[in-house]
Amino acid sequence: MSFSNEIREKIKQFAREQSRHYLEEAEMTYLEKLKYKTGQLSSKVTANLAKLKSRSNLSIEAQNDLILYISDYMKELMEEGLSEEEAFERAKEEFKFRSETIESADLQKRFAQYYENLDPARYEAIGLFYAGFMFFGVSIGALIGFLGSGGKEMFNAGGWIDTLIGVLAGGIIGIGFGLISHGIIVLKKKE
Amino acid sequence: MSNMSEMLKGVLEGIVLEIISRGEIYGYEIAKKLRLLGFEELAEATVYALLLRLEKNRLVHITKKPSELGPPRKFYTLNERGRQELAEFWARWDFLSERIQTLRLEDSKNEF
Repeated sequence: MSFSNEIREKIKQFAREQSRHYLEEAEMTYLEKLKYKTGQLSSKVTANLAKLKSRSNLSIEAQNDLILYISDYMKELMEEGLSEEEAFERAKEEFKFRSETIESADLQKRFAQYYENLDPARYEAIGLFYAGFMFFGVSIGALIGFLGSGGKEMFNAGGWIDTLIGVLAGGIIGIGFGLISHGIIVLKKKE
Repeated sequence: MSNMSEMLKGVLEGIVLEIISRGEIYGYEIAKKLRLLGFEELAEATVYALLLRLEKNRLVHITKKPSELGPPRKFYTLNERGRQELAEFWARWDFLSERIQTLRLEDSKNEF
């Protein structure tokens, strides 16, 4: 049983992409993996691996191994009655790199940090600060604009524009204060 | 048996070394043997990744033979270091299974 040229190319492409990840994982020692998990070594390890891969045939060998592996797997599926395309899709799912040590570890770490730091009360407080300062700014700006333009008599005779400017300026000042309080809350959380 | 992957993590290398110790074998054949042994839940990629690691740790001897699919196929046998690692694995396994069995029997005695 042989594959069409199109599928053969797809297998090669997939193996080229995925074997890199498998190789990276296999190349790291246990200690390196631990350090990688704690984020101390990622750039150093990646740089070393890049050097190693560029000067060795390891990468091509790993690709070839994966090509054969996928081909064997697909052949078996096709013998069970799956089409070439279906078998390839299944193989892609099965051989897609899943690691707890490289990419997913980073992602998991970031998710964990996010959820650890997630405090609904803090977000509510930030929202209330923004809203509060906006209301303050808009009302004070409107009042200054209204009174400064000449009050009720002048409002219809063009004074409304000053009130509007006051509202806009007050709104911007409110957002400014909101941002400052947001920054203070974030810094306090970091401490 | 389902939900075996966590438990298998620590022993899969030993199982694969034992399979390789029985005679020259290539990667996909190992995966098939594992399925026949009942480890259907194992992802195909797990064996591929494990073989790369065995190779990197120099526990296997590799012979490349031409394949009908293009690139040469790697056949694995255990080298001296691999045999030593396998012996250590079985020693660890015996120790662990004995202790677990002791615990289990003690526990059931206490129940009565």
